[in-house]
Amino acid sequence: MSLHQRQNEVMPAPMPVELDEPRNDEVTTPDRPWIVLVWNDPINLMSYVTFVFQKLFGYSLEKATSLMLDVHHKGRAVVSSGVKEKAEIDVFRLHEHGLWATMQQDGG
Amino acid sequence: MIRRRRPHAPIERTAGGYVIRLEDAERNLLTRLLGELSALLTGPPDAPVLQRMFPPAYHLAHDEESETEYQRLMHDDLVASRLDALTTVSTALRDHTVLDETGLRALMQSLNALRLVLGTLLDVDEEHDLDDVSPDDPMVGEHHLYGYLSYLLDAAVRAASS
Repeated sequence: MSLHQRQNEVMPAPMPVELDEPRNDEVTTPDRPWIVLVWNDPINLMSYVTFVFQKLFGYSLEKATSLMLDVHHKGRAVVSSGVKEKAEIDVFRLHEHGLWATMQQDGG
Repeated sequence: MIRRRRPHAPIERTAGGYVIRLEDAERNLLTRLLGELSALLTGPPDAPVLQRMFPPAYHLAHDEESETEYQRLMHDDLVASRLDALTTVSTALRDHTVLDETGLRALMQSLNALRLVLGTLLDVDEEHDLDDVSPDDPMVGEHHLYGYLSYLLDAAVRAASS
């Protein structure tokens, strides 16, 4: 459940403070977390995607199912976040399992 | 596909691990497919059927440099990881090994990798239904194979969750 809480806290949400940042900021800003997205694709099975979310991130069945349904219905979902190196590892593990995962800096 | 009633689930959780209950013909078929996938993975890296197995990590245009660096560092690791999983599964099929959690995950990854290749080849959509595939379709065999692999992967997930 703690992962669940943390996940919610870093969901992308436009904050007013971001208006002060340069628009074409191509330099990595260390204090903004990186988010890992999983995208909908026609091949991966819903049961398998749910299982992978549980195993890789320790999410409950409910949380994993909810994320899987977001991927399915909304086209994508944020499945984890953190520093760049952690996000890269999460993307790699998702790719090992055949999921279509990418990463970007939150708010970027 | 011959739809015979199976006496057991094809993958079953037991006290000692996960048992693969497949007939010899199925083991031989899977072993052949896994071998073909190994050959694909060690062949030209830009084969179109492989594209779904190696998505970009950074999808935004302004992260292009990070993407290049990521692929430079990680692509070979991903190939090696996939080949390791294929070897684990081929060996287990040959030796009738009971799989542990890692082995079961290798089985799932490998079955899904085969589905990614076949699904890309067949350009399947979310409503893929074998009943909609005409017996005259030149790829009818591949469609049934895709359905069979989906069935096995789902069985593996159910065994893990049982």
